[in-house]
Amino acid sequence: MAVSPEFLKAEREQPWRVELRSKMKNKERTALTRVHMNEVDARERILSNIEVNQGLNQVQAMAEAQRCLDCPNPTCITGCPVEINIPKFIKHIECGNFADAAKTLKETSTLPAVCGRVCPQEKQCESQCFYTQKMNAEPVAIGYLERFAADWEQNSGQMAIPEQAPANGIKVGAIGSGPAGLTFAGEMAKKGYDVTVFEALHEIGGVLKYGIPEFRLPNRIVDVEIDVLKKMGVKFETNFVVGKTANVEDLQEEGYKAFFAGSGAGLPRFMEIPGENYIGILSSNEYLTRVNLMNAANPTTDTPIISGKRVAVIGGGNTAMDSVRTAKRLGAERAMIIYRRGMDEMPARVEEIKHAQEEGIEFLTLTNPVEYLADSQGRVSQVRVQKMGLGEPDASGRRRPEVIEGSEYLIDVDTVVVSVGVSPNPIVPDSLPDLKMTRWHTIEVNDDNLQSSIPFLFAGGDIVRGGATVILAMGDGRKAAAAMDEYLQKNQ
Amino acid sequence: MQNLNTTFIGIPISSPIVVGSCGLSSTVEGIEKLAKAGAGAIVLKSVFEEEILMEYEKNVLPNVGPMGNDLEFFDYYDYQIKTEVLNKYVQLIKEAREKVSVPLIASINCRSTSEWMAYAVKLEEAGISGLELNLFRLPFHTSQTSEQLEDEYITIINKIREKVRVPLAVKISPNFTNLVNFARRLSATGIQALVMFNRYFNIDFDIKNEQVISGGAYSNAAEYMLPLRWTSILSNRLECEVVASTGIHTGEAAIKMLLAGARSVQVVSAIYKNGPTHIRAMLHDIDSWMKEKGYESIDDFRGNLSQTMADNPEIFERVQFMKYFSDHKA
Repeated sequence: MAVSPEFLKAEREQPWRVELRSKMKNKERTALTRVHMNEVDARERILSNIEVNQGLNQVQAMAEAQRCLDCPNPTCITGCPVEINIPKFIKHIECGNFADAAKTLKETSTLPAVCGRVCPQEKQCESQCFYTQKMNAEPVAIGYLERFAADWEQNSGQMAIPEQAPANGIKVGAIGSGPAGLTFAGEMAKKGYDVTVFEALHEIGGVLKYGIPEFRLPNRIVDVEIDVLKKMGVKFETNFVVGKTANVEDLQEEGYKAFFAGSGAGLPRFMEIPGENYIGILSSNEYLTRVNLMNAANPTTDTPIISGKRVAVIGGGNTAMDSVRTAKRLGAERAMIIYRRGMDEMPARVEEIKHAQEEGIEFLTLTNPVEYLADSQGRVSQVRVQKMGLGEPDASGRRRPEVIEGSEYLIDVDTVVVSVGVSPNPIVPDSLPDLKMTRWHTIEVNDDNLQSSIPFLFAGGDIVRGGATVILAMGDGRKAAAAMDEYLQKNQ
Repeated sequence: MQNLNTTFIGIPISSPIVVGSCGLSSTVEGIEKLAKAGAGAIVLKSVFEEEILMEYEKNVLPNVGPMGNDLEFFDYYDYQIKTEVLNKYVQLIKEAREKVSVPLIASINCRSTSEWMAYAVKLEEAGISGLELNLFRLPFHTSQTSEQLEDEYITIINKIREKVRVPLAVKISPNFTNLVNFARRLSATGIQALVMFNRYFNIDFDIKNEQVISGGAYSNAAEYMLPLRWTSILSNRLECEVVASTGIHTGEAAIKMLLAGARSVQVVSAIYKNGPTHIRAMLHDIDSWMKEKGYESIDDFRGNLSQTMADNPEIFERVQFMKYFSDHKA
């Protein structure tokens, strides 16, 4: 999928790009200040699930696009896992050709409206921007512009249905409807395959729906993409757990020739500390899924979630931020992040941390739970934490957390959300005894084509990577589709 | 066969030979062999928090991908490793329980107080007969006094005591400034046994290549004298049982420890060298000696040569050779 320098150079030398560059000197471009994302005020947004980031308007987007220098050596592309032609789509925005900008994005990214919202651009493309690398200045807001172009397409009512090859009648299955599975389905549908997506939950979208809250990624954004797939003929089977409802062999008997496993990482991890089984302690997976997909925030539902007033969320990743900000929106008076390292070591996106801080989330960093205490009913009432110090950097380059003995103290809580990571979903692998797995319980695949030890099974996304960004999962879906197509054509 | 019954951490056992924590007890097959050979109890291989942390640092964190995209996956992976290690240990205990009737004792070594507690709770839930705390950390902190270090150990034991109900043994090193005082403090926490002493990983130098290498792994048969002295001194001074360990390679050495007042002895190196059947040979030697001496049970002679019972108690306190070398002719 690598973009050759020659190709990029040829694209850059197209007359419209040359002309655009000549309209404004680089000095003028670099003198512009980076646009600020329009946001709903923190006091207002914590009262509902309204999306926090409101996107850029056309004027803002075109102004920000002017900052891009259209570099001869666009290092930003090297920071993008799917190598979006970043200068090209940005220059289209500068010209006001928003449809072309969206089209450029879709050349390599299936879900740009999603990626524009949830990808960690500050660690990826924006970290490699000329402004960051050479000027020690704020990078071009690539993520904001990506979102702008994708949203423009969605709102224009001109969502293009991709061209499709004539139907070949070959049935293939995607296991899981997250970003990897959806991308795979779209790519295979384009190639003329008869694609069915099997989703264990009652909603399509996987982690995009159950894991990421509405205030960060509205469901309607995902639904637009799902509608496109439906129009392309992709079929969806919800409430269908491959490995339980039916296994792969059953589906083969129904005529499926190959499968793509993109069933994600849905197995929550815990810390195995005393008291972790008390009532009121749950995983972030359960917490977010119940709120996002099961309407559990509504007390009149069959299985409402208890809206704790003192909620502690353990962990420092994006899922932890999503959980603690959800708790705030459910009425928590004290919503806390408890994280054993410092702010600088948190895996969460800088933007999510900033939003959380604005919303009044407390950050108890260098603090780690060691035990939970319960009331007479077995309901969690306190967490015993200990203070941590930071030692020398470890192999990840972050400073190592070290226990400060004798520093323990108690915090009153009534809900605890454990958000210390997830493991790959074991149901599909467990149903396939011959499937080779890695030490991390992920599916072992050939890196070149994502084919597993079972030739007709390809895999990608979190079930292969453990933890992947949406864009990496999408890239896997795309790569696996190409490889599966080749495999099926050879084996017909 | 004479009556070789005794107790370990208050649990009746059929022989005084307890297999100390080692790799021989890391599989069900290994445990079966040891039990069949006549071990009174078996201490399973220690779970080391340090090993878990080393695996996390050496094998997990370097796998964090470019741009840290999977940092969230690996951020707390040390807890996942711990869960897997403990689950495997619990599985070993459950499977071994089905096969052998001798008491199985879990052994743990942790770095932080909180982890000691977490590990202990998890292992108690697995149905172990008792827990041995492999309680030693090489004191590196220049600012920490020996008293502070001892206090830390006492805190760990007290915290575990609060959380678990199974009998506890504490295995210590001989390297304490005032061992008698510290042993009494340990005993006062309510532990059931004090195991003296643990044997540690040693370093050595390869002078040919000028490299630091690991020292010999096994004890030798002369090392029993250090635990012999302290067993004799402490066996009648503590509320808890005293269990002798290190350098006990023969039935004769085991008899000496029992005479010193040990309730049982832990053996590892001799079994590594000679195989599990060596336990049977040691028991045979003990039995023969008892018959020869007319002792019907271990209680008949246990502690006969402890400091408080010996005819010459002052010899236990002698540490300088004094006249020995001036009279000794090589």
